[in-house]
Amino acid sequence: MQASRARLFKEYKEVQREKSVDPDIQLLCDDSNIFKWTALIKGPSETPYEGGVFQLAFAIPEQYPLLPPQVRFLTKIFHPNVHFKTGEICLDILKNAWSPAWTLQSVCRAIIALMAHPEPDSPLNCDSGNLLRSGDLRGYQSMAKMYTRLAAMPKKG
Amino acid sequence: MADFETSDDDYYGDDSLDGLDQEEDDLLWTPQRTPSSASKVITRASLLAAQREDLKRVTEMLTLKEHHARTLLIHHRWDVERLLAVLVEKGRDRLFTEAGIPILDAAHQASARSTSSIMCNICMEDISPNDVTTMDCGHCFCNDCWTEHFIIKIKEGESRRVRCMAHKCNAICDEAIIRNLVSVKDPEVAERFERFLLESYIEDNGKVKWCPSVPHCGNAIRIDGDSYCEVECTCGLQFCFRCSSEAHSPCSCLMWELWIKKCKDESETVNWLTVHTKPCPKCHKPVEKNGGCNLVTCLCGQYFCWLCGGATGRDHTWTGIAGHSCGRYKSDHNKVAERAKRDLNRYMHYHNRYKAHMDSMKRENKLRETVQATIATSESKDDGFRDYSWVTNGLNRLFRSRRVLSYSYPFAFYMFGDDLFKDDMTEEERQLKQNLFEDQQQQLEVTVERLSKFIEEKFDKLPEDKVKEIRMHIINLTVLVDTCCKNMYECIENDLLGLLQSTTHSIAPYTSKGIERASELSVCPDSDQILNSSKANDDDAHDPSWVSSAPGTDSEPRSEGQVSCASLDDNGCSSRKRAREETLGSLLFDLNLPAEVA
Ligand SMILES: [Zn+2]
Ligand SMILES: [Zn+2]
Ligand SMILES: [Zn+2]
Ligand SMILES: [Zn+2]
Ligand SMILES: [Zn+2]
Ligand SMILES: [Zn+2]
Ligand SMILES: [Zn+2]
Repeated sequence: MQASRARLFKEYKEVQREKSVDPDIQLLCDDSNIFKWTALIKGPSETPYEGGVFQLAFAIPEQYPLLPPQVRFLTKIFHPNVHFKTGEICLDILKNAWSPAWTLQSVCRAIIALMAHPEPDSPLNCDSGNLLRSGDLRGYQSMAKMYTRLAAMPKKG
Repeated sequence: MADFETSDDDYYGDDSLDGLDQEEDDLLWTPQRTPSSASKVITRASLLAAQREDLKRVTEMLTLKEHHARTLLIHHRWDVERLLAVLVEKGRDRLFTEAGIPILDAAHQASARSTSSIMCNICMEDISPNDVTTMDCGHCFCNDCWTEHFIIKIKEGESRRVRCMAHKCNAICDEAIIRNLVSVKDPEVAERFERFLLESYIEDNGKVKWCPSVPHCGNAIRIDGDSYCEVECTCGLQFCFRCSSEAHSPCSCLMWELWIKKCKDESETVNWLTVHTKPCPKCHKPVEKNGGCNLVTCLCGQYFCWLCGGATGRDHTWTGIAGHSCGRYKSDHNKVAERAKRDLNRYMHYHNRYKAHMDSMKRENKLRETVQATIATSESKDDGFRDYSWVTNGLNRLFRSRRVLSYSYPFAFYMFGDDLFKDDMTEEERQLKQNLFEDQQQQLEVTVERLSKFIEEKFDKLPEDKVKEIRMHIINLTVLVDTCCKNMYECIENDLLGLLQSTTHSIAPYTSKGIERASELSVCPDSDQILNSSKANDDDAHDPSWVSSAPGTDSEPRSEGQVSCASLDDNGCSSRKRAREETLGSLLFDLNLPAEVA
């Protein structure tokens, strides 16, 4: 599919140009395969993910951008809308609310927004969803913080 | 029908035969179907016109573009009345936004058109303003991106609701734009789109259903009133409009579904086996119990205990097997077995009667030819002076009531069984109602058999006075059978189903004249497009001008009606039609095949 390749190439150039514009997102394209990308995103401040750096993996279908990319967390994260084992993300814009007007960059932004504003009603991680739904915000936050420290921060010493 | 009721009294034991005028009314049943029947058959040729009628009503009433009218109608399942109710209740803006029609003014966007190149937000290319399209919602993207988007959505089966590509834009795209763009890139997908739109009128419409004939006759039936009804397609198939299976009144759809399943999966035979046989613990073949004692022997030589199925030695007394004790389960075993046996017997009782009447119906179907031959010889004898409509009327009545009688058995099986209404009646109530119903059923049964017997008489071989007598009996019984059917239905509706507390259970009502055949949809030829589509129906109207206006052959905006109706024409009837099919090539859809969703 020539169209998706061209579009991804455009996005690639755009990312190179805008690198400094959004310091929270770093998108990297696989050297040998333009349909495989990874991203490093910073945990939003004033959330349990603050200070962590999370790695995302993108698998892009040939019909992109008419069909959405598949995105998952490679870094362990305790979040009600992320599957704890597989890193799958439950986010409407990656499914039926996808619009071809989205880019990989804007998908990253949407995921950062999801980290800051979890939706406990469509949980992929039931434990954390239950903690949040039952109003145990502190329980949720301490678990999320713990995993951020364990998995998303550079090991000290 | 009303005539029958009022003159019932004149009938019994009255030799005057003044029922003849009703019989003449009855004559109209089979050959001539009244053009005003409540159900209409929609053929490949009239589908477009039927759809257009509704589209036209909505476009005219609300003064809007056709594709917006279609979007509204699809959203409201082609129910014009409901659509108008929403308009009154919620107002035009709500009606539009809920269905995905932008309220934005088209003139508003036109001014925004620029002459320099435009960046398409999907492919991120700079595109010449000639190669971009702005949808009604105001969102503008390049034609290539739109086209790919449309193709993906059509292949996903979303033809009826293709949304704009912009984020969070709910607008449904203009079908004319979709049609134009897609047909250039992929005519096959464009064809599928056309077909999906057209079939929406059938598939998204509560009042229209495909005729379930196999192989499919290509027709759909539109009903006017209550959906609890039975209809006959012009292909001859009679079916229940609600569940699309064969006509099954007075059974409800649920009863019929259960019954068919029960008859099919030989669960009863399995039951019989579990009641009467047990698997040998050694070779696992079913072994039947032969004598009174509980020690059974398999052909393989293994002895085992009938009660628990366990292997044993052969030493035994009447009450026990040496070294084996299982007595305490005995009563349970017997209870379960007895229960299964009772259920089986009950089912057999109803099934046998159901089956017997079905078989009679098949036999009587053959009778039709014999009777017609008998009439023919009689007519030739008396130079066609005499009227033999009383025989055909009797025969028609016989078919109809035999059918009712046959289906009344599965009805009773469920009405008075434990499957559906166990908690709706006390045991005494149930018994009372069952007696009431069975009285009606038996009366019908007896009358039907008598009618059948008289109709089988070879009256052409009989003397004049004997024929006169048979004629009188048949006329009387014809009316009586109809009355019995009516009474039975009344009993079902008022005393049985009508009194259920926990559920509502509806059946197609009794129609004295039999299942009505749907009449052809008459198309009012008051617009050019409708005229064209009715031409498609007509063999002589082979105006090549509209056939040649296939997609891509002219730049003038075509009316979609023309293309579709060319594509929809009946294929495979006359040689002339077939010839045209060839010239049209792949443009023809076959409505017999399902539109596939990739
Ligand atoms: Zn584009
Ligand atoms: Zn839009
Ligand atoms: Zn049919
Ligand atoms: Zn039914
Ligand atoms: Zn054996
Ligand atoms: Zn014995
Ligand atoms: Zn035993």
